[in-house]
Amino acid sequence: MTVIDGHALAGKGFSWAEPEREVDYDPSEMLDRAAEADIHRICVLSPRATDYQAANRYIAHICERHPERLIAFAVHSPQREAGRIRQMLTQEVNAMGLRAVRSDGHPTRELLDAAAELRIPVVYYPKRKSGSGPGRWFHMIASAYPQVRFILPHLGEYRSETWWGHMEALDLVRRYPNVYVDTSGIGSLKYLEMAAKELPAERILFASFAPELDVRVGVEAIRLLHLAPERYEAVMGGNMFRLLQKS
Amino acid sequence: MLPSPSSRREFLKYSGGWMAAGLAHGMQGGHRTRVIDCHAHAGHAPALTDPWTTIGDPEEILRRNREAGIDQSVIFPISNDTFEKANQEIADICRRFPGHFIGYAKHDPVNEKGRIRAMLMHECHELGLRGLKLHVHPGPEVLDTVAELGIPVIYHPARVALFEEISRNYPTVDFILAHLGADLSYDWREHLAGIDMARRYPNVYLDTGAVVLTRYIEQAMQQLGAEKIIFGSDEPEVDCRLEIFKIRMLKLPPQQEEMILGGNLLRLLGKFREKAA
Repeated sequence: MTVIDGHALAGKGFSWAEPEREVDYDPSEMLDRAAEADIHRICVLSPRATDYQAANRYIAHICERHPERLIAFAVHSPQREAGRIRQMLTQEVNAMGLRAVRSDGHPTRELLDAAAELRIPVVYYPKRKSGSGPGRWFHMIASAYPQVRFILPHLGEYRSETWWGHMEALDLVRRYPNVYVDTSGIGSLKYLEMAAKELPAERILFASFAPELDVRVGVEAIRLLHLAPERYEAVMGGNMFRLLQKS
Repeated sequence: MLPSPSSRREFLKYSGGWMAAGLAHGMQGGHRTRVIDCHAHAGHAPALTDPWTTIGDPEEILRRNREAGIDQSVIFPISNDTFEKANQEIADICRRFPGHFIGYAKHDPVNEKGRIRAMLMHECHELGLRGLKLHVHPGPEVLDTVAELGIPVIYHPARVALFEEISRNYPTVDFILAHLGADLSYDWREHLAGIDMARRYPNVYLDTGAVVLTRYIEQAMQQLGAEKIIFGSDEPEVDCRLEIFKIRMLKLPPQQEEMILGGNLLRLLGKFREKAA
């Protein structure tokens, strides 16, 4: 079984959760901790940044240094980089080996057309007002781009800030075959238990959000679901492996 | 239906003598300190708008406690406007599951103003409750009463800064700051403020429940030592199995882990003052 952490961070920038907080995530520390937690491969992307071209180059660089361990994801801002995304992403995927894109801001047609053309998944966690769930931000993109596979991090609600954010994520996965959820940063495990019980196992992706969060807690959360071995293997890495193979 | 305990002796009989047993486990060499979750909610509420205004199922907590190796949970009501009935329900749950729960009262110092002293005295002396949970900032009515009773207060304030005055003015009251100052780590600065508060006041302790940014538990441990940290979960909304893992993954020396997982809380609970004969 190959364990793949579907969502980790490396490099300098600003916290995804708190835009004003500067961060500098050390990839070697992340690799050490992942090894301790028996994680074989890690999907890694930049924190929020002002220059994603440079940030993605850095991610590609560290992934080249650890090709057996790291899988590079790009990040782009569809609003700030409008008009340049297709060209940048095409180069990053075809020349630099990046395998997915996280959208910093609501995905535009430009970004989604590029992702569809390149056949890469789109990671998107809607930035929204406190108290509103991810539902309204996903219905349009998921239905308009059925050929694009979307990964909704944190089971729809980082730190389980609202319970209905998780419930909306469950409904999105049920409704759209192209929506996946990752398991990182969930404060209230019962919603992950609901996901494991109610959703197709192939749509749940283990992730840690390391090093912002402790990877060992992320692994333990999945262990506590007491999944059947084949479902456990799928969630812990098989699903992400297949998702990236389709790329 | 179980009878209501009319005395402390009767309460202890139905609760399995948790205090005596717990202290014995904690204090005598060769015995394992009882593992206690200092923060769980149980019972019903009328609003039905959120999980914490609907139900906290004690059997659900017990099921997870068994898997996590937790011997007892401190339980108090979920969100109500007033708490007389809810606190009675907590006492009833403690009797229904002897030895598994330690009951605390909860009160709203605003909605129940003027009645809290009498209720809390009754709840501790007659119903066998042994602490107080607060979400609303307490005034002298509440704090004078808990000082008289010698019970700990677990308080989830809107801001950690609210602890400053009460901790200074009531040095004999033990305050447990819920969630290390920030429920689900909603603001890491509140975790830092909580650690600072516990460093400055000997009567302030930190509950580890529902802390997502676990590096602040590590930081609290490094800066304060095990004696100021108390394991909690916020069951049933937050899973005690994952919360206790956050303590066990610190890989502390056994004596320090035992303090966090039960010893510290037992010491605070041992300060309860019986009603004068």
